[in-house]
Amino acid sequence: MPAASRLTIAILAAGVALAAPAAAEAGYPERPVRILVSFPPGGSSDLVARLLAEELSSNLGQQFVVENKPGAAGTVAATELKNADNDGYTLMLSNLTPFSVAPTRFPDTPYDPVADFSHIAYLGAVHLGMFASPELGTADMASFVEKAKAEPGTIDYGSSGVGSWGHVFAVAFENTADVELSHIPYKGSGPMRLDFRADVIPVMFDAVPQNLPNVEEGNAIPLAVSSPERLDILPDTPTFTELGYDIVAENWLGISGPAGIDAEIVDTLQGALAKALKSDDIAKQFDTWGIVRSDMSSEEFTDYVAASAKTWEPLVKQASK
Amino acid sequence: MLDNLALGYATATTPSNLFYCFVGTFLGTFIGVLPGLGPLAAVAMLLPVSFYLPPETALVMLAGVYYGAEYGGSIASILLNIPGTPSSSITCIDGYPMARQGRAGVALLMTALASFFGGVFGILVIAGLAPALAEFALLLQPADYFAVMLLGLVAASVVSNSGTLRGVMMVCLGVLLGSIGVDINSGETRFTGGVQDLRDGIGLVVVAMGLFGVSEAMMSARGATPSYATEKVSWSRFLPETGEWLRSLAPALRGSLVGSFFGTLPGTGQTVASSIGYALEKRVSRNRDQFGKGAIEGVVVPESANNAAAQTAFIPTLTLGIPGSTTMALMIGALMIHGVTPGPRLISEHPALFWGLIVSFLFGNLFLLVLNIPLIGIWVKLLQIPHYFLYPAVVVLISIGVYSIDHSLFDVWTMLGFGLLGYILRLYRFEPAPLLIGFILGPMMEEYLRRAMLLSRGDPLVFFERPGSAILIGISAVLLVLTALPRRRRKVQANEEVVESR
Repeated sequence: MPAASRLTIAILAAGVALAAPAAAEAGYPERPVRILVSFPPGGSSDLVARLLAEELSSNLGQQFVVENKPGAAGTVAATELKNADNDGYTLMLSNLTPFSVAPTRFPDTPYDPVADFSHIAYLGAVHLGMFASPELGTADMASFVEKAKAEPGTIDYGSSGVGSWGHVFAVAFENTADVELSHIPYKGSGPMRLDFRADVIPVMFDAVPQNLPNVEEGNAIPLAVSSPERLDILPDTPTFTELGYDIVAENWLGISGPAGIDAEIVDTLQGALAKALKSDDIAKQFDTWGIVRSDMSSEEFTDYVAASAKTWEPLVKQASK
Repeated sequence: MLDNLALGYATATTPSNLFYCFVGTFLGTFIGVLPGLGPLAAVAMLLPVSFYLPPETALVMLAGVYYGAEYGGSIASILLNIPGTPSSSITCIDGYPMARQGRAGVALLMTALASFFGGVFGILVIAGLAPALAEFALLLQPADYFAVMLLGLVAASVVSNSGTLRGVMMVCLGVLLGSIGVDINSGETRFTGGVQDLRDGIGLVVVAMGLFGVSEAMMSARGATPSYATEKVSWSRFLPETGEWLRSLAPALRGSLVGSFFGTLPGTGQTVASSIGYALEKRVSRNRDQFGKGAIEGVVVPESANNAAAQTAFIPTLTLGIPGSTTMALMIGALMIHGVTPGPRLISEHPALFWGLIVSFLFGNLFLLVLNIPLIGIWVKLLQIPHYFLYPAVVVLISIGVYSIDHSLFDVWTMLGFGLLGYILRLYRFEPAPLLIGFILGPMMEEYLRRAMLLSRGDPLVFFERPGSAILIGISAVLLVLTALPRRRRKVQANEEVVESR
């Protein structure tokens, strides 16, 4: 290839990569703000970011642009966030995998989930459900555990991948309930749900919201949910804790930035996000997606992230044995 | 069925839905024509716009963008030998030689017609069989999917014009490249050499654009691409010869059938459909000697197959709520933002949306035809741009396209590396299309193989006990043996001609 065009590419690409030069912080935000999303476009987390970006754009008078940076269990996006300027113009839709699971799972993760970031606002959480196929003939957890104990190692369960929260949680469940299941890993939830419907796997651990249509149709029996309390979207399903298995899992979502963002900017963003979450449109949308909201200050959210990383550490270690 | 279609017709023909259907197909075609930007990029770009539209209209528009971009992708395949989408890499095999022979207009016209034919065929299949097709996807087990992938890979090796052995070698190289990254069964990384950016494997678009686009630019710099004859563009030059019309009908039908069938399988539909369709045609066609040298069937079959598949691919997405591809995941996203959850109840709960979309496909395909036939003249004129202007521009566009996917400079460098690889392979008469298909299908085949083995607790008989997988494995074996046997007619000579014309 001619050197000239290689140079052109480099210049063009660099031009896209770098946002405008740093500006004075008088009235934040003065120029567009990037929100990194560690998922490819289209998933529910991506949609959350897009929805909020739009709300923030109209509230704060600057464009908030969603930038999808999927890869390596979300650590690509989180690493970029850590290395970004802490001027408030680079944010991220922070979530469970890169901040609570990855640091344990990949010891070479180049950041500390708490010290290297400013955790600005908690948005909400989605919970995990354990679903059984009607074909399995176990209508509740008690009969499932009985069956699993009678036939150790014969019941297959699906998760959305080795080291995914579904897998980590399933291993924790196996240990707590003293049962032995066989793990069938999938590349994400979609193909797993297809095989579940096709009766290839009789059990799966998956986020609750996307499975509601199957529950309503009678194609999936929710045995238990991983939330601390029962979910509004599945009011008749007990939590694991209720059933005597002391395990809770939340795939939380929040907005975070690099460490050391100016307190005023954090307040501006926190306020705008709190306002956005209270708007009817967003509240309704979050409810349909099964995202459980809760009010947290920036400090509370930071403590939450730290606690979440601690909770998951032993579970992740167990699952990667 | 008629009631449903009437309801769909009423929904699809509201002025705003018609308008957005047109906008979608129009923008889709233009984005799809740009090398490096395929349906995924096109749908992702327009997704935010769809938030402001009612759900039916949003889906009609995005679907238009999607198949518009699929169509646009084949334009770049024919004119520049750069497939806009993986499934149109098959179209390159005969479409590009046609363009080199000064018959780009004919190839584009036949692509438009074959796409329309395949699209309409797929729509009729959906209209008649939607609920049954959804059930069909549920009958298949991992062993069956493994066999489908295997057949796809065998078909891809057979597609090669430089001999089956070379085809098999390219497919295997593709499979190996595809195995880079995290192994889904163990969670361990393979063949990454400790490079973080390789943890998730190499991106499909990165490989495709490098192998085809960049290497094509390098070939042109080497002077291997002759300047095109700057003849006057006239209507008569777009029309195929009389015999070619008749020759195209049966292949279009076969392509549509194959496409409609494979489109219903989540995940793989179009690429498998176009390569199996092509391989099949190469076996049954009376003109098989011309394949790879600008046979009109070689354009008609993959285009009718992948457009039929593009339509039937909506069935698992909408009725099971399970996206077959990232593009389809975006469509589901567009519905979710409007509070519509795709799933088994979609057809009964939102009949206007479902049938409106199906009927809009019909209008969309019609728009594509009406839109593109007049544009053929303009596309062909593109070829008159001197290649020392055209190809650098193409490389810049590709680089931007690749960069835009994950905002990764690593991807751009990798793509340029694949350009070099593609260039070397071409110098030694290896074709990139089988490599690309091996790269796509190989990892999926491995995934299903290992899943089937996990489920059977290590018993390989599972592949022969299930009738579906047993039959498909049988077909693959027969296809491979048939092709490997020496062909009677002038095989060596044919190969040499191919090399010269490429």
